[in-house]
Amino acid sequence: MFSVEVSATPGSVNVQTTEGRGMNSEEIAANAVAKIISISDTADPIIKAQAEAFRERMYWVIVAACDQSIKSDRTTLFNLFKTNGHDDMAEILRTL
Amino acid sequence: MAIDQAMCTSFKQEILQGIHNFTSGSGGGTTTTTGSGNTFKIALYTSSASLGAGTTAYTTSNEVSGTGYTAAGNTLTNVTPTTSSTTALTDFADTTWSSSTITARGALIYNSSTTAGTANRAVVVLDFGADKTSTSGDFTIQFPAAGASTAIIRIA
Repeated sequence: MFSVEVSATPGSVNVQTTEGRGMNSEEIAANAVAKIISISDTADPIIKAQAEAFRERMYWVIVAACDQSIKSDRTTLFNLFKTNGHDDMAEILRTL
Repeated sequence: MAIDQAMCTSFKQEILQGIHNFTSGSGGGTTTTTGSGNTFKIALYTSSASLGAGTTAYTTSNEVSGTGYTAAGNTLTNVTPTTSSTTALTDFADTTWSSSTITARGALIYNSSTTAGTANRAVVVLDFGADKTSTSGDFTIQFPAAGASTAIIRIA
């Protein structure tokens, strides 16, 4: 008799919620980094140190990219409001 | 009433029947689809829901309602299945209900492309461990890293 046993197990999700605001660049970057790289607790210490340094560097690169993206989107919205005659809304966005 | 995290038993059977296709890309799908991937969704549920390994399809019973949430939940962006060592796995992009005011205890991922026989066949039930609440904010589900021991859906 032969049999092949497979197991199918769901992973665990992380739920993040905010109150009265959206997620900021740091929170989004932390999520992105967690998706890109995971480091085993049992990894070789030297490799682990390199991976952690890489993860730290990636985190700040993504934070900067998120900040740039937010600013760029605000510029687009600023012009959209301005074009449609909502100068007050455009000014609020500009000063954020 | 309880939400128990589990890979739905019907889903395991349906994998062997070739019903689900997690390939990334647009395309419809039926129970006999091949090629292009199916559409998967995630619906949120309150602590009053009864969900677990025996769940076979999406249900509106005790589904979350609130600002920023539409019945049937969010469409997920799936990542084409891959392998890591001897484990096969697939993943989804994180999903967010923006500007929402909702409270949820768990979720159901289901295949909204399945129509023949049973519509909206269940894939996996997720238990958040406690009620999670967003108030005029973001409600984000962050999926785990797509690793052999961490991915949201993996067959070892």
